[in-house]
Order: sequence, then structure tokens, then C-alpha cells
Amino acid sequence: MSTSLQAHLQRHFGYETFRAGQEDIIRGVLAGANVLGVLATGGGKSVTYQLPALMLPGITVVVSPLISLMMDQVQQMRAQRRIAATYLNSLLDPADMREVMREIERGMYKLVYISPEKLQQSYVQALLKKVGVSLIAIDEAHCISQWGHDFRTDYLRLPEVVRALGNPPVLAVTATATTAVREEICSLLKIKPEHVVLQSLNRKNIAIDIIPAADESERRSQVLRQMDEWKGQGIVYCSTRQAVEVLATSYQLEGKRRVHAYHGGMNSMERMLIQQQFLSGDLDMIVATNAFGMGIDKPDIRFVIHYQLPANMEAYVQEIGRVGRDGEAGYAALYYTREDVQIHQYMIEREYPTRRQIDLLAELLRQQQPLTPEVLASIELTQEMADLLLFYAQRVSTASREEVAASLEPGMELRDHADQVYGELERRKLLKQRKLAEMIRFAEERENCLRKRINGYFGEMGHEYTLQCCSVCGLERSLYKESRQTENVGRIETSWDLRQALSVLLPK
Amino acid sequence: MISRSVEAREQEVLSAVALNAMIPLANERTLQAVYYILRGRKANQTLQDVHLYSLYPYYRMFPHFSKEKWDKIVSNLVQRGCIQVRTVSGMNGKSTFVVTPEGLRYASEQSNHYQLPRWLSPFSAWLLTFNLEIFWKRIHLLVQTVSQLAAARMDFIPVVTDRRIQSWVKLQLRNGEVRERWQAHLGDELYKLWSPLPAQVQQILAGQLTGAEHTGRTSGQLAAEMDLSPSQFQLLFRYGLASSVERLQQEKEAFSLLRILLDADHQERGDVRLSESAAKTYALVQRGISKADIARIRRIKESTVEDHLVEMALRCPEWDASEYLSSELAAAIVHTSEKLGTGRLRLIKDHLGTEVSYLHIRLALARNRGEATS
Repeated sequence: MSTSLQAHLQRHFGYETFRAGQEDIIRGVLAGANVLGVLATGGGKSVTYQLPALMLPGITVVVSPLISLMMDQVQQMRAQRRIAATYLNSLLDPADMREVMREIERGMYKLVYISPEKLQQSYVQALLKKVGVSLIAIDEAHCISQWGHDFRTDYLRLPEVVRALGNPPVLAVTATATTAVREEICSLLKIKPEHVVLQSLNRKNIAIDIIPAADESERRSQVLRQMDEWKGQGIVYCSTRQAVEVLATSYQLEGKRRVHAYHGGMNSMERMLIQQQFLSGDLDMIVATNAFGMGIDKPDIRFVIHYQLPANMEAYVQEIGRVGRDGEAGYAALYYTREDVQIHQYMIEREYPTRRQIDLLAELLRQQQPLTPEVLASIELTQEMADLLLFYAQRVSTASREEVAASLEPGMELRDHADQVYGELERRKLLKQRKLAEMIRFAEERENCLRKRINGYFGEMGHEYTLQCCSVCGLERSLYKESRQTENVGRIETSWDLRQALSVLLPK
Repeated sequence: MISRSVEAREQEVLSAVALNAMIPLANERTLQAVYYILRGRKANQTLQDVHLYSLYPYYRMFPHFSKEKWDKIVSNLVQRGCIQVRTVSGMNGKSTFVVTPEGLRYASEQSNHYQLPRWLSPFSAWLLTFNLEIFWKRIHLLVQTVSQLAAARMDFIPVVTDRRIQSWVKLQLRNGEVRERWQAHLGDELYKLWSPLPAQVQQILAGQLTGAEHTGRTSGQLAAEMDLSPSQFQLLFRYGLASSVERLQQEKEAFSLLRILLDADHQERGDVRLSESAAKTYALVQRGISKADIARIRRIKESTVEDHLVEMALRCPEWDASEYLSSELAAAIVHTSEKLGTGRLRLIKDHLGTEVSYLHIRLALARNRGEATS
């Protein structure tokens, strides 16, 4: 078995050996068990469902919450011609959607990436049932947990979908999961303790640094100066698009290295070009929001800097996890001022509807108004917020009536249970507040080893390191810096030659 | 290395463009109408204004123009004494504006300084319905794909993510023989197409392209390197695209590969002269269906169908509009418009009396305008 698995790995992916945990996960899946795999960011999660997809008779469905990530992955697989893969999500227009569904029906694909909300739709379920699903892989499985930092209501409906598809084996994978989250994933998806494959999330080669700053202006000048100094290529994360623009633009005025901004407000072609330039080494640094990094497989990123406090430990660990996947030494620094907290407080507040909005929505539903984007905009609700409210209303009311069938009158449900629904939202908000408080405590930690703090948060004991540990244990920052005398950037004063420019692109 | 005067130049370019677009609309339309034209609003009113006042180069010039930025430009122009806002009767309380003598002087001064007439020259009525963004994305992805083919490395991530553009490129490069022709001649055809353009424009076009061995620059990066403000860059970029399309159109035989960039657009969306929705209406009109029935069949408002009729009058000279407008009435309306020196519907209607409808007037003016340009 093992040799044949390795032969498949070699043939399809070109790797000699499995990374830690991969083989155990794949074996469990092929034996028909439900499995939870916790692998560090960059630990090769995708191989754990892509390889079985090639070996199993039916199709493998991959549930992924991030549309851009699923499109990237499918794009890459198409480029490498490794597995016949496609995706179904809300960005496909109806004509494309129909075409892809016809192709799935004809058996053109082994691997189908799908967003959780598309998977709820009955015609999609009917199609999948018809062609036969051999495995349901749930990426970012922590989204199913209400204790998680990234809970999504449509993930909570996944157990029903698994049932509807005839209970094929389930593989849940994630890179971040605390003990409580792991337990919830296992109970919801019926995964036995012996089928949990847990790999150490400790990243030995990354040195952890925290740098407090008195205020924003001090921090900015500090970071702008150090952007000249850090060794190798890296990412600087900011909390908002505006902060990204300000930092990138200020650096471009004075700095010595090649830097560009990246955030969701830029158009897709620009983002592709910037990403490509970073991958090919034309750019030294990307200043980005958390929109950058998902699905980017660059082994030699040498540093990740958090210009501002991340929203929670999970996001922080995921982002610094992009450093040094090649195993060479890397550096992660978190800059922090007390002002950062307000941004997150504001974002948490804005993420949830107010009590008044709940009542307004209930009223609209009672009047049988269709919930068009315009109608929702009139009470300043997003589609996600409305879905969340209806989901809770339905859950609260079925719980009280002890009936399984969903009510036909969501408006009544919402009105009758508005208090409970609002209470539920308050609990969610509180959870986010706690996660933020945990993040703040970490940023203010001056006594205990930061590596132990991180690993302890995820219920892990290991704290080995290769080069240096963290700023509490003592850190020689100069190891991650180099002096740059000459200016790298500046207009290149070569004369323009169209013939030559075209021959670089299209050589004869 | 962004020069500190870039922001100042950006303001000047935007003001100059806005002011030049305002001049023909003074006393006739609101300032908002100018903003809609520059942003490229798809409403029929906006498209008609573009035709009526020959503002082709300005349409969709700055698709991402924010309201905030626009308001700033307007208040600058007011402060400089270039324009004055005023409210007049007969426009439903809407306010129009006048361009002062100082405004005219400033417009022509800035126009010369930034060479606006040159950069705006290649835009015609025909180009209005041609989608320059799709045109550019297709070139972009064709070059990348052909470059990768030549390097025998097909495991690349396309810079253009739009699925429809991707399948179009795939279709063009579907078989080996065709691929070889593209590999052999694409570079030459692009050279032939772009070499007559000013060097700056060449650099803007070719500098953005990506190949197997080279990643293109974003517009922001190129603008910074070339020391152009974002709007200056946009002005030159659009000039480059429009000139390319015009040239391909005029010398189809000379570009055996690149000319498909023109053909494909027609096949995809029906009558290329019309908006997508109007093209559907036109197809029904040609089958002799009345406007009330069209509204019912297509489940759109009758007033929307009327908008489409006006669009047709404007752009389809072969359409016989006599069912909706007699030639005598058309002549009377055009005459009145010329006599009053206005394109404002309300004034014309007040003059001609109640039996003349707004639709009559709009059709007559559109037809007249369409004949003048075709």
C-alpha cells in the first residue's frame, strides 16, 4: 500500500516522499473513514484530497469558502494538467454555470471545488448524487465551529449536505484549530478520535518578534526605515486598505527597494501582475491587506511584518506561516500600538446587525417583500447579515418547537424570536472580543516565551527552534537585516525600443 | 520615485478634460451629465448626449472617476472663475451652467499644454460601441499565451482572469497550424501596428504585457516610471488603444492575425452599433412588432423601448422610423430646434404644442444627428 501510494505521489505530484501527516490522512480517507487533518500552513493540505481524488472511482468535492483561492487552485491544476478540475461558485454567470454542470455530468472532472452556498442548492446536490461522490473534502474546516474565529453559517449546514449526498467519507482539513474547535469539528462531522491527524503547528525556523510603538507616527517612521533593511523578500500586512495605500505610497517616495500595494480594491489584472512580479522576484516587498497570500506558494518568503495588530491569533499564525516554507531561517515581527484595538472594535461592531435592523428585517419579511439587494440596502443590511439572521431565527424556532422541518414563515420566526437571535449575535460578538483580547495579551506579553504562547494557544507543547526563538527569549535582529548602500529603484534611463520590448515577449 | 508635482498635474489634466467636455453642454445640460459621460454611464440619456454633442472621445474616459474627485474638480473650476452654475426655468428645477470667457481661455491653454486634441483625435462614433477594455484584455492574454507556447511552457497563470476572454483566446489558438502562424508573426504585426505611435504610447502599451520571461507592469507602475499622472496615463493609453482599433479597421488586409480582434466583437453581441438591450429590441422591430408588444414580450417598460427606438434612430440609418414619426413632423422639429438654438426637449415641445410628444422630438433630433455623422 505504502509503496503504491508513494508511486502515485511521485507520478502525479513529482514529490519523493510525503510530508508529515499526509500519508496517515490519505490512508484513512482511502479506507473510507471520516478524517480530520490539522496541518500547518504550507504543510501540503491540498495533496491530502488531490491524491485520493485521482485514486477514487467517483468525484471528489472540495468545499472551500474562499472563491479566489478555489479559482487559483483550479487554474494551477489546469496549468499543470495534473487532475481534471473545475469549480462552481457564485461568480460564474448562469450560462457558464450550466456549461460546467453539463461537463460534470458527462464525467469530465475528478475534482470539483465548490463554495458552501452553492452546495446548499438542491439542483447541485441532485447532480452530485447522480454522478457519485467518493469523497467530500472540507477545506478551512474550522469555519464550521462556532468557537472558531471565522465561523460561517453555511458551513454549519454541511453535515446535512453530507447526509443528502449519501454519506460519502469526509475529510476535514485546517491549518488552525484550538482544542475546542477540533472537538466541535469532530462531533459535527462524526470523526472518531483515532482519525484525527495532528501535525505540530510550531514553525521552528521562524523567529517571533514583537515591537511596541508609542504611536502611529513613531511606528510608521520605524517601519519605513526598516523596510530598507530586512533581508530577502517579504510581506507587510496592514489592517485596512487605506493603511496599505498610505504605507506603500510613503515608502515609494523615499525607500530603496521595489515595493507595491495589494488589496481587494484593486482590479484583478493589477493584482495578478503584482502577485506575479513578487513570485518572479521583480518586487522585494508587498504591502497588503489579508487579501494577499492565500494560495500563494512561494517557498522563500523571508519575513512577514504585521504593521498593525491582527484580529486574532488564528489569523496571525496563518499569516506568519507564509515565511520560510523552504525551511531556511525567517523572521516575523508584529508592530503594535494601543490605537490598533479601536480599528478592530469598530470592525466587530460593523459586522453584526443592530436590534433595530433585526426588527426591520422581520417587518419586511412579514410584508412578504422579496429580499433584493436594494431592499436590504434600504435597511443597511448586507446579504450575509440577512442570511445569518434567518439562519439563527430558523435554528432558534426549530429548537423551541422540536420540529425538524423548516418553517415557511421566516418573518414570523424572526419576529417571534428577535430577542434570542439578538442574544446569539451578542454571543458571537463577545467571542470575537475575547479573541481580540487574547491577541492583545499576546502583543503585550513581556515575560513568557512567545513561541510557547502561540503553541499553547493551539493546545500544543512543542517549542523547538532552529536559529532564534523570540523577542522575549532574546533576539538578535541584525541577523535578519542587511545594509543597502545603493539605491535600487529609480527611473531606468534606457532609451525605449519597441522592437526590443516585443522580442523579449515574443522571441523568434 | 513619484515626483511631488504629480498630484498638481493630475488636477490640471482632469480640469482641462472636464472643462473641454463641458463647453458644448453649457446652457443645455447639468454638470452631472458631464460626469456621467466621463464615467461612461450606460443610460440612454448619456449616450444620446454623447452623440448629440459629438463627445465621443470623452465617453468612458475615466470609468473609475469618484464623485468626490469630480466635486473637487467642479469646485476648482468654479473658484477659478471658469464656470458658473445657474438655475433656469424650464429644466424642472435642475441647474445648468455657463462657461465664462476665462473658462474658454483656460480650456484652450490647458488643451494645448497637454495636447488634448492629439490624444482625443482617434475617437469616432463607431468606436463608441466598441469595447476597448475587452480589446485590450484579448491582446494581453494572446501575447502571454503565444509567448508561453513559444517557450513550450503551458503551466502558466493567465494574467486575465475573465473566463470569456480565456475561452476566446483558446478558440483562436485551437490548432497547431494556426498556433505556428501566431508564434511566427504576432511580434511583427504588433510592431507594424504600434511603431507609428509616439514612443511614450508604445511604452504604455507594450510595457503592460506579460510573457514567459517577463512580467508586465501595472498602469500605476508604468505611470510612475514615466512620470505621468494617472489621468495623463489614461489619456495616452486610450489614445493607443483607439488608434490601434482604427488602424486595424482601415487596413484589415495588412493584419491577417490581429484583425480577428475586431471581428469577434460583432459576433458576440448582435448589432454592434447598439447597446445589448437595444439590439434585442431592434431585432423585434424588424419583425414588425409594435412597441407596446415589445415591452410586454421583453418584460421591460414601454419607456425603455422608446429609449431603444431613439438609439436606433441615431445609429441605424437604414431603419424606417415612419411608423413613429412622419417626415413632415421630423422636419418641423429639427427646424424649431435650429431656430431656438437648443437641443432641450422642453423648450422645443413648448414651442410646438401638445400634439408633439417627447418621443417625436427625441426621434427627430436623433435621426438628424445620425444623418449628420454617418
